[in-house]
This record gives sequence, structure tokens and C-alpha cells, in this order.
Amino acid sequence: MDKQQEFVLRTLEERDIRFVRLWFTDVLGTLKSVAIAPAELEGAFAEGIGFDGSAIEGFARVHESDMLAKPDPATFQVLPWRESDGAPGTARMFCDITMPDGTPSWADPRHVLRRALGRAADAGFTFYTHPEIEFFLLKELPRDGTAPVPVDAAGYFDLTPHGVSQDFRRDAITMLERMGISVEFSHHEVAPGQQEIDLRYADALSTADNVLTTRHVIKEVALSQGVYATFMPKPFSTQPGSGMHTHLSLFEGDQNAFYDGGDPHHLSKVAQHFIAGLLQHAAEITAVTNQYVNSYKRLWSGGEAPPYVCWGSNNRSALVRVPMYKPKKSGSARIEVRSPDSATNPYLCFALLLAAGLKGIEEGYEMPPGAEDDVWTLSEGERRAMGMKPLPGSLAEAISVMETSELVAETLGEHVFDFFLRNKRAEWQAYRAEVTPFELGRYLPVL
Amino acid sequence: MSVFDTRSSGTGLLVRLGFSDPARTAAALEQAGLWCDGRPVDAPAGEVVAALADVADPDLALASLVRLLQRVPDPSGLREALSSSPPLRRRLAGVLGSSAALGDHLVAFPSDWEVLRGELDAVRPSVYGLQRTLLAAVEADGDVPPDGTGGARAGLTGVTAVAALRAAYRRCLLALAARDVTGAVTVEEVGGEMADLAGATLSAALAVARTTLSDGAAPCRLAVIGMGKAGGRELNYVSDVDVVFVAEPPEGAGPDGVDAALRTATRLAGETMRVCAAVAWPVDAGLRPEGGAGPLVRTLVSHEAYYRRWAHTWEFQALLKARPIAGDLALGQAYVDTVEPMVWRVGERKGFVEDVQAMRRRVEKTLPGDRASREVKLGPGGLRDVEFAVQLLQLVHGRTDTSVRSGTTLVALDQLAAGGYVGREDARHLSEAYRWLRTVEHRLQLHRLRRTHLLPAPDDEAALRRLARAVGYRGDVLRTFGRERAGYGHEVRRLHEKLFYRPLLTAVSRLPAEQARLAPEAARARLEALGFAEPAVALRHLEALTSGVSRRAVIQSTLLPAMLGWFADAADPDAGLRAFRSVSDALGGTPWYLRLLRDEGSAAERLAHLLASSRFVADLLARAPEAVRLLASDAELAPRPRATLESAFVSVARRRDDWEATVVAARGMRREELLRVACADLLGLLDHRQVGAALSDVAAAVLAAALETATRKVTAERRRPLPVRIAVLAMGRLGGREQGYGSDADVLFVHEADAGTPDAEAASIAHDVAHEVRRLLALPAPDPPLVVDADLRPEGKQGPLSRSLSSYAAYYDRWSSVWEAQALLRAAPLVGDAELAGRFLDAVAPVRWPQGGPPEASVREIRRIKARMEAERMPRGADPKLVLKMGPGGLADVEWVVQLLQLRHAHAVEALRTPSTLPALRAARDAGLLEPDDADVLETAWSLAARARDSLTLVRGKSAVSLPSSGRELDGVARSLGYPASSQGEFLDDYRRATRRARAVVERVFYG
Repeated sequence: MDKQQEFVLRTLEERDIRFVRLWFTDVLGTLKSVAIAPAELEGAFAEGIGFDGSAIEGFARVHESDMLAKPDPATFQVLPWRESDGAPGTARMFCDITMPDGTPSWADPRHVLRRALGRAADAGFTFYTHPEIEFFLLKELPRDGTAPVPVDAAGYFDLTPHGVSQDFRRDAITMLERMGISVEFSHHEVAPGQQEIDLRYADALSTADNVLTTRHVIKEVALSQGVYATFMPKPFSTQPGSGMHTHLSLFEGDQNAFYDGGDPHHLSKVAQHFIAGLLQHAAEITAVTNQYVNSYKRLWSGGEAPPYVCWGSNNRSALVRVPMYKPKKSGSARIEVRSPDSATNPYLCFALLLAAGLKGIEEGYEMPPGAEDDVWTLSEGERRAMGMKPLPGSLAEAISVMETSELVAETLGEHVFDFFLRNKRAEWQAYRAEVTPFELGRYLPVL
Repeated sequence: MSVFDTRSSGTGLLVRLGFSDPARTAAALEQAGLWCDGRPVDAPAGEVVAALADVADPDLALASLVRLLQRVPDPSGLREALSSSPPLRRRLAGVLGSSAALGDHLVAFPSDWEVLRGELDAVRPSVYGLQRTLLAAVEADGDVPPDGTGGARAGLTGVTAVAALRAAYRRCLLALAARDVTGAVTVEEVGGEMADLAGATLSAALAVARTTLSDGAAPCRLAVIGMGKAGGRELNYVSDVDVVFVAEPPEGAGPDGVDAALRTATRLAGETMRVCAAVAWPVDAGLRPEGGAGPLVRTLVSHEAYYRRWAHTWEFQALLKARPIAGDLALGQAYVDTVEPMVWRVGERKGFVEDVQAMRRRVEKTLPGDRASREVKLGPGGLRDVEFAVQLLQLVHGRTDTSVRSGTTLVALDQLAAGGYVGREDARHLSEAYRWLRTVEHRLQLHRLRRTHLLPAPDDEAALRRLARAVGYRGDVLRTFGRERAGYGHEVRRLHEKLFYRPLLTAVSRLPAEQARLAPEAARARLEALGFAEPAVALRHLEALTSGVSRRAVIQSTLLPAMLGWFADAADPDAGLRAFRSVSDALGGTPWYLRLLRDEGSAAERLAHLLASSRFVADLLARAPEAVRLLASDAELAPRPRATLESAFVSVARRRDDWEATVVAARGMRREELLRVACADLLGLLDHRQVGAALSDVAAAVLAAALETATRKVTAERRRPLPVRIAVLAMGRLGGREQGYGSDADVLFVHEADAGTPDAEAASIAHDVAHEVRRLLALPAPDPPLVVDADLRPEGKQGPLSRSLSSYAAYYDRWSSVWEAQALLRAAPLVGDAELAGRFLDAVAPVRWPQGGPPEASVREIRRIKARMEAERMPRGADPKLVLKMGPGGLADVEWVVQLLQLRHAHAVEALRTPSTLPALRAARDAGLLEPDDADVLETAWSLAARARDSLTLVRGKSAVSLPSSGRELDGVARSLGYPASSQGEFLDDYRRATRRARAVVERVFYG
């Protein structure tokens, strides 16, 4: 038993924790949880907890479906919303999934990211991410298909006295901080009811864990305040969607590998190749960064969503934005990818962003010239002339581009690659079969 | 009484003393003022000459002394001192005779001889003393050693500082070498003092490095951690010094202070390394996190984060010896305190067992070529082997036992022996061998102060003689040295046996032992680390195999330590040991068996590998243990040619009249042939094509024997010769010579009546024979069955078992469907009447290679059949992607692509007329019918699936339709296909990738 495991067991005693929730995610990024009593934890550390993998999206078929969840003690946290005065508490840990023979499961999204990070480490890099999670607070969850109603009518950075959203953000952030998740920034976003919470940058595996935790905490806090939080990419036709702009940086040891003081944008060669890789492979990875039918309604809604493959210095309409450099902060050199939405599976999303960038470094891709203008104001012809290709226009298109991508297959591993495509094809077919209110409203009266 | 009191002539005397050229020697001695008229000038001079003669290289010693006397300001003073002080005489002569480099140093700094005077032996320089001396040499304050940007700063800079430090360093080295060559210090003490000297040098270099900082440089604390031999206090005279740098901003620095402090520290570290390289030896910081790619200097937190998250097992192995040696010692200690617990927890890390195994293989790996035999460090049985093996045991047992954690190899070895982890005798012998090797290494390096681990070439007698004398031999030094070296080499060579495995036997021995025994828990821990899943069971097998005093138990006790290592290298060590026990129980004391294992070189190793890799082999051997003798040589394992097999099988069949017994005998022979092929396959002596061909030949030979027997039986029943000729055609994999271990034999029977025999009678006879062939081969027997499958015949199971040639022709002419034409693509003659088989093939040529290709409707039909099979023939519940034959991109997919191309183009492209898949695939590519890339993709997928299928049968002992999704069997398959241990996930990923790509080609080329 190592020190971290000892720490966990001691904490369970000291804080009178009666349940430990073991968390992991399926291939789509949905959080799964199994609760065990503290007495079972020692065994779980040593051998893992067995479960039926066929019950989890994308893990296994019915035969040979036994799998093990092994808690990662470095992720141990007490769940604050279950900690009322004096009552016994609940804690959680993320798990790595293994096969019965102890080798890692290639269906486990955490393992996908771990492998990608391992390849980066072989090249001498550590990968840091900093996600900005947008979401909506709704008065309630409409279950009959009617349009949702946001909790307020405020806008960007608005301070709403005694507003629900303000209390909400305060409570949510307090809880996140109590779970060891540092929040960099939080504010009211552009649309009514829309909020943003930025997590502090950390290594990609921790941030991916943190994204999952944050989504869960936000949903819990909303429930406790009688409202409903959603990470659906585009719940309103006429309002902006919820993205998860993600800042990326590579470090070589303690040095930021993206920084080069001599470059006009302070971008090192490594950063330039990385950006070129992201652009080159942007279309292939879109089915993962924007994994739902609904994602494409955000992507193509204009405004700050970036459906054209280009980069720009501090250009919020570009797919990859290079933020303004703050003098004397070489450590903070980074780039921002703006396509992912808040409903992505962060493990797979980060793994693919990293793989695309690393590919650019390995192959020495050249970075195209940056976009200066608001990409939306350009004409189709101008964009074509400037070599800006569009991202897939729908989930169906994204799937067919991804199908041909060896980069994605290699990064996700064949198992996840295959499952993901099957799942998404099924989603697209189900969507295609649906007759929507749009069609009824538009065609029924006239046809 | 001195040698000079004899009556010898001066010349003879000098030769006897060991000088090579008496005339030149006499002249040199005269020049040195020691010799006159063929005799020493006086008695003390005689002592000096005798001392010069009694060193490693008397000629060198004398030549250097002459040069020294020419340079020294007061030669008579030196001569006087040499005459009057026996210790000085021994030391100076010893150093000059062992080291040309130190001789040069003395000539350059003549007054340094004074270092060798006085009570050198009684006083060992302390680490602080050495540090003070070297700091003083660069005019830095020796009382406050530098700790980064604080502490002493050198008064000298640049080349002046380097020169002064080098002189001082050499002076310290001189004093140590003098004590070393006169035997005043042990090998361990030399290593310790060299490490201290290295620390002091780094300290002084750091003081010099400080002078290069600009005034505005941010303050920092910098610690130098000694790793490797420097950390373990067992440093050589000349070797790279392995270090890691740790830096922190000073207490109270702001958050921005870290970056600035790191910049300064990196500068200091780099400069320190440069100074050291110019002074004495290269500093190697390659053991730092991320190796050469990582930053030179990190903070404590950054180190910790790295080791927690990214570090590999071998990195922890390197940390085992970490020790602060210069700079800020408190920071250095904090580093050691941080990483040390992680070192001892490495056993709990994921993949530790695999890493240990990989590291162990590295121990056993040998260097190729002639250099290997001359290497004292890296060669087989060299220093590195001992050090690695000791560290490995420390990692395994140091987790629970804090008493075995020393960073010094010899100390650790003693500790391991005291704990019973290593046999006491083995430890003692190894210790002795290690000391000897280190002494040799020291003497080699001392000569020119060069980093070398290479013994002189065998024909360089002068160098060998000097080395042997330097080690301390006198008399016939070459022979003595050679003998000792062979002895110690032998001691170290079977190192892993002694260190890793032999103690395991003591754990189960019932004999009352005097010495410490490996405790059962420790034995289990070690077996587990070596890869045994059920250590308790393994211990019971060990006990059963070695208990008693029988010849067998004795031989097995000797063999098992090595065999355990071989079991541990394979996929399933537990199964290997279990199977070995059952073979051993069956063969018992059979003398040839024990002799084979003991004397036949690699036989025991091969047996161990096979038993722990393949259930198929273990099962066959359990039924016929005597077949172990096949392992005696490669020649035994070579597949026997078809003709030899057939005649052997058929002659067995002819010798008997009991039909069943005949076929049982033939099947017994088949079992042995299967074993032969399986062993050769698993040992890598055959490629996959050869395996398929060999297995096809074995199947053919059995069928030949069965056909012979069946014919004789039917003949005997009818009491006259059969008026019909019969041929058996091979179909499917057998036709393509792609037979697997568990494949059925697909065949067609064809017959032709002799003239005057009614067709009906001929058909009835042929049916009886064919039926008998199938019956005989299906009789229950303790061998893997060979199912004879004739279902590809016209009308399938409903049709007659055998048809006449004309009946086939008529059928194919009138009824044949396209799948039958497709099946005929793989028809080839097998056994029976060859002429008839040939005519059959001529007759079906237009069917299988139709002129102009099949009609479009037939092509559509083939596609439809294939699509239906994909839906219907998939085994239930399986992951389709892992189904080897019918899965997407699997064997059938590729074969159908190839066969469709054959049907369409074989009439025009002659190279397509082959029953084998890969030749046909390549022919299609060469004829431009397939894009080269597509052909590659198909070949890769087919080969991988075909190899996986055979390998799965070998591992499991029986065939299976799909790959398992995890577990030991999958691990075994992956290993036998060349993957490292525990890479089943990678293998499956590769398999899925190859078949996914193949499927894409199939969709396009076959259905497209």
C-alpha cells in the first residue's frame, strides 16, 4: 500500500466517511458511479472492483464482459454537498478500468488519454489544459419538448443583484474549491441564463477529471437551488451555444515549449507546428470535440463559434486563437481551441487535440498565415481563396471524415474508435428518422 | 640479505629482477645515480632498484623516475629520501610503475612527490578535508562550501582555476593511488574515497562556476545529487560521474523567484559540468527526469511530480543510489528524503513485474563479438551484471525489509545474504569475484587515467603482464591471471541462477540448514515478482521435484534454478512448472531423459520455454513424454520431407493386419510430427509458410496411411484386388498448403473403374474405401483427431462420398454453382492415384478458371453468398471484430477477395492458378488487378490473422474461432507473435487496425 492509499484510508476514518463513490466514464463521457463501503476500499486498491462491462456504453460485449475498476488514490475527494453537519460523509475517486488480467482496458477513456500523454512524455512533453466551461441555468427541465426558460435575462458580465445565477456561481465555486478544483474565473455569459466557469490550468488528465467533477457539481448545486443546469451545446435556437474553449500548452520540464520571445506572436516552432497539426486534423476530430447532433447547431450558429479552419492572433472567430501575450509570463504562453463544446468527453477530446498537435510537431507541418478579420464577415469566395476549409456541417459529415482518419483510430485505439463510430451512426440515424417541429411548422400548412 | 649480495653479473641480475633491456636499464639507473659498474652504488640504492623492480612495469617506473629526477629542484634530496624511507620507496615506485599518467603529473609538478611522504597510510582524508583542499586550490573559503549562489566563491577564474584545480585533484589522486598500489586500502575504500574526491571536485567547480554569474543573477540554492557509482560510494578512477541537479529559490523569494532561480541554477550547473570535464571527468546528468530531453535543473516539487507520474521502474532503480554530494546539502537531503520512499514503493506500481522481467533480461543480455570477452564491465559475467542483479533484488525485497537498502553493491550483497535472500556461499563467491573485477578495472584505468573497461588483447603480452602484475601477481603472471579470470568469470556467469532462483530451493528444502534460508513469504514475493501467479503452488511443485536424495532429485535441484528463469520468461510460468513436473513424473528416472536435460545444451531451456508457452505442446508431451528427445537438436526439429513422412507412415500401415491398430500407430506418428512442428514453430525455427506446409505434409502422410489401410481392408474383405483406382484431392487450406494445428482435412474422393468393371460396382468399392478412411481416422484415440471433411463434394452431404471422374465432369458441366467453382480453386492432388488426380484437375480447369471469367450473375451470386454468410455464420455472442475467420477483415474476407479475382482472371493470368492464398494475392497485385497498397493491407491482415489462429491453438491446446479479449492466453498469443510481455492490449489494437483496414479494401474491391 502506498502513501496516497494510506492517506485515503486514514481520511475515511477521520472524517467518518461511510460511502466511497468510484467514478469512471463511458466512451461518451457520461459519469458512472459505484458506491462501496470503506471496508471494501483496501481490496479495491489491490484488486479493483468487478463490474459488468457490457452494461457500460462502449466497454464490452456481453461475453467476456467482466472488468475491474481500480480507484486512483490521487483523485480522492470528499463530496461537499453530501457533507451536512455531523452526518457521515461521502467521498469519490476516479478509477482506471482494467481487464480481469490486470492490463488496462482499451475501452477506458482515461486510458486513451493516458496513452496519448505517454506518447507526449516520450517526446519530452507534458500537456496542460485550461477549459472554459459554458452552460445554461434553466428554471426547470421541460420534459414535454417545449422550449426551456432561462433563470434570468442578464447578459455578458452582468451583475444581477440577488440573482439566482450569482448565488449559484458562489455556491458552485465554493464546492469546487472544497474539492480541490481551482476556479480561475467565473461570470455571466452572453445569453440569458448562461454561465461560464474557467478551471485553472493543470495537466490534462487532472483537468479532464476536473471537467467531469465540475459538470457533476454544477448539476448538484443547481438541483439544490431548485433550478436545472445543462451542458447541452445549443438549447436555444436564437441564443449562442455552450462551448468549452480550451487553452493548451506543452511543457518541456519546467519550460513552456510554446514560448519563443523572438517570434512576433511569441510562438515557438513547437507551437507553430502544434497549431498546424490542429488545423490539419481539425475536421477528423470534430466528431469527438462536437459529438452530438445538437453540437453542430452551435458550431454553425455564428458569433464566437468557429466553424472555419484557421488560426488568428487574438481573433475570436478563428478555430485556434493565440491569446495576447502577457509580458514576462513565458510560462503562460498558450493557444486556445474554440471548437469543443461543453458536452464533449474531455478525455477523448484532450487526447485528440494533443495527438493532432503532436502530429504537427513530428511531421513538421508548416503553420498557414493567420486570419486577421472576423471570419464570419468574409464571403465564401474570400474564405476559399484564403484556404479556410469548413469543419463538418453535421454529425453525419463529421462521422464520415473521422472514419477515414488513421490519426483518430490510432489515438482512440481501435476499440473506442469502432464503438464511437457505431454509436454516432446510430444517433444520426435516429435523428434522421425524426420529424421535427421545424418541418411540421414549415411544411404542413403549405404542402 | 639483498639480491645484490649474490655473485651474479649486473646484467643477469637486472634481467632476473624483471627489467626487459638490461643495458638500457643499467644506463638509466646510472643516470638516476643508483648504479655504477654493474652494481648499485650502495646498499640503500640497491633497495631502491629492488623496489623499482617489484612493480607492475619496472621499465616504466624507472623511466619516469629518471625524468622526475631531472626535473626535481633537489634531486639529491629525493634520492636521500628514497634511500632512507622504505614506505616512500614503495609508494613512489608503485605509482610510477602502475601509472604513466601519474608519472607525467609528477614530472610536471615535481615537488608533488612530497605528498607520498609521511604517515599516509594511517590517515584517510575525510570528505571535508578533501573539499577544503580543493576549494583552497581555487582560492575559495574551504569552511563555507558553495550552496548555489551562497557560500564560497573562487578567487581564481577561467583557465587558471581549471589548471589549479586539476593539479590539486591529481595530487589527491596521487596520494590515493600510492596507498592503493601498495595495498594499504581495500577496493571498497578506493571507491569510497574516489566518490568523496568527486564530491569535493564538484564543490570546487561550483565555486568556480559562481565567478561566471553576472551581478544581477537571481539567487538560488543548488544541490548536486550523486547517482550511480558516485552515489553508491563505489566510484572508479576514471568514469563519468552521474549526477542530478536540484534547485530552489532562497527562503522567502516571491512566486516569480522560481523561474529566475532556475535560470541561475541552470547556468551554475552547466558551468560546473564544464569545469569538471576540463579538470577530471565528464559529468553525466542523463539520469535526470526525461533524460537528455529534460531540463538540466528542476525544483524539488518538479522532481517529485515527475517521479510520481511519469518515471519508469529503471529510474527508481537509479535513485536507489541517490546521495547528496555537493552544493546545498540540506536541499540535497530533502531530495533524497522525497524520492526514497518512492523507490521502495516501486514494487506496487503498475507493470513492476514486467519491468523487473525486462530488467532481468537486460542482466542476462550479452554483448556480441570479441570485445564482449574482454569487457570487465558490460560483458557477460561482468561488473554490470552483478550490480544490476543486486539492485533488482533490493527493489523486490527492500519493500518490506529495510535492512537491505544500501546503495553500495558489496554492502547490499552482504545485507541480502544476511537476510537469507541470497545464499551465503554464493554471496561470498560473488563478492570475491566482484572485488577482483573491480581491482582489475582500477588497475586498467590507473595506467593512463583513461576510462576503459577493456582488457588488453590476448596477443598484447606486455600490457597483459603489466596488468597482471598491477593486480598483484608475480611469477608466471600470464597463466595465473588467465586462470583466475576464468574462475571468477564462471562464478559470475550463472549469476541469475544463484541470486534469483537458487535461494528459492532453500525455501522448500527440508534439510536442516546452517545458513539463513529464504523465508517462505520472501520466496513467494520473489516468485511473484518473477511472474508466477500462484507462488504457493509453484513452491509445492519445487518441493516435489527436489525432495529426496534420488539421482533425479539431485539433477533437478541443479537444473531448476536455471529452468525457473526460463519458465519466468514465457507467458505462463505456472503452467510451465506444472507441466514440467508431470513430464518429469512420467519419465521418472529414465536415464536418457536426465542425461538429455543435463548434457544436451539447450534442451532444458527449450523444454522450459515450450511448456510455459504452449498448452498444445504440454498436452502432447503429457501423452507421449518420450518425445522430449526431439529437443536434443535443431536437426531433430526440422520438419521431415513429405516423401519421407509418407513412406514412414505407409510402411507402418503395411506392417500390420489389425486395421484399427494400424491407424492408431499412424496417428501416434502424426502426434510426434505435430509436436515436432509445434516445437520448431514456437522456437522460431520455422516461418508461418513453412509451418503450413509442414502440417499439410503431415496430414497428407496420415491420409496416405489411412488410404493404404482402407484399401487393404476392403481388398481383404472382397478377397481380390480392387478393380478401381482412387485418388484423394486436397481442398481448402489443405489444398493451399496452409493447414493449421487444429484444421480439418478438406478432401474430395475421385475414382475410376478399371476396364470392364461396371460403374456401380466401382462406385460401391470406392465408397467403401473412402468411408473406411474417414472411420479409421475418427476412431477414438488419445491423439488430436484429424477430421476428414468431404463436404465440398457435389451435392454436399447428400452426394456420394466418391464419384467417378466422368460423374464429376458431368455434374460440374450441368449443375455446378459458382461457390463450387470457387471451392475448386484450392483443389490440389493429395494421395492415391496421381495420374487420376491430374486428369481430375484438367477436367475441372474450365470450371475453376472459366474462359472470360464467370458471368456477371455469378459474380453477384458470390457477393450475395458472402454477405449472407457474414450475417449468419458469425458465432453467437462473440465480438465480431475478433472472429478470426468470419470477422470483418478476417481470413475469409481476404480469401474471398483473392478467389473472386482468381475466378475472373485466372483464365488470362496464369500466375493466379494457385491453390495458396498469398501467392495468388501477390500474383493479382503483379498483374495490376489489385493496387499495391491494397494488396499490402490484405496480406498484412491475412498473415496476422492466420498466425494468430495457429498461435492461439498452440497456446490454448485446442483451436478457437475468435481471439479472447484479455487474459493469459491472449498474452501468450501476443508473445508468440513477437510482442513483449503483457502487451495484449497493443496486440489487439494492432489486430483490430489491420482488419479494419482490410475490411475497407474488401468493401471497395469485393463488393464495390
